[in-house]
Amino acid sequence: MATATYPPPPPFYRLYKDYNVNPKSIPEPPPPIEGTYVCFGGNYNTDDVLPSLEEQGVRQLYPKEPNVDFKKELRSLSRELQLHILELADVLVERPSQYARRVEDISLIFKNLHHLLNSFRPHQARATLIHVLELQIQRRKQAVEDIKRQREEVQKLPKEALGTLAGQ
Amino acid sequence: MDIISQLQEQVNQIAGLTFNTFGTLQRDAPSARLSQNYPEPPPNPTEDAASFPEQPKQMSVALVKAAKQFDALVAALPLSEGGEEAQLKRIAELQAENDAVGQELQRQLEAAERELKLVQELFGQTTDNCLNLKKPD
Repeated sequence: MATATYPPPPPFYRLYKDYNVNPKSIPEPPPPIEGTYVCFGGNYNTDDVLPSLEEQGVRQLYPKEPNVDFKKELRSLSRELQLHILELADVLVERPSQYARRVEDISLIFKNLHHLLNSFRPHQARATLIHVLELQIQRRKQAVEDIKRQREEVQKLPKEALGTLAGQ
Repeated sequence: MDIISQLQEQVNQIAGLTFNTFGTLQRDAPSARLSQNYPEPPPNPTEDAASFPEQPKQMSVALVKAAKQFDALVAALPLSEGGEEAQLKRIAELQAENDAVGQELQRQLEAAERELKLVQELFGQTTDNCLNLKKPD
């Protein structure tokens, strides 16, 4: 049925017939999927992880330890890139038939640069979360202060009113 | 745009400038003399020859500027306290503090609601007394 040209809609609508009469008789929504799932014939994964360079068959030029110094590696990769561009210019002048190796090196450096930048994204996500939490704490503290101030003012008012009435 | 996206855009821009540079130079370069046996190659039409020496200079200036901007963006990276564990610890601390402040806020809100109800009741009684012209005690 799923592969017909114009498949009919799924028959689940019959289960919700009595929603007006009894809202509790309908089935609950299905729980969220975990792991791999198939969607329109394609396999997808809920665990989104950046595949490492070796898995894509690309040599990794920067060190592989858990905490890499991003700035230093980015700068050294950028300098390598400029050097390779100059080498390519030289090769094209002197030995034009040997451009392929240099072009391969340049594309390797670009792949490493992009992979390094992408691997920085989880760090950015956590930093954003920290920033949002700090903002929320600040706003809540501000709200607590405002409420305290208003309560004090409200408690002053009847006393003042009483005083004014008693003075009359 | 956030700084990592800017860095990625800058990398792509450097790549674009690189292949545009080499492609243009290869396409527009005047023919070179390969050996003494062959005659001098014919000169190019004047339109290309006039602006041609400027092109490598301009393109290399653009490449170097793009590379410098990349370095400037790298320097502007806010790389705080390295380490995933440090960040996760900070997130846990902030969550605990957020919960505590949230509970305090909840308490204040409930107290304020109670006082609001009280004041509204008193106000209602006062206006009733006023409307019924009862003398104050």
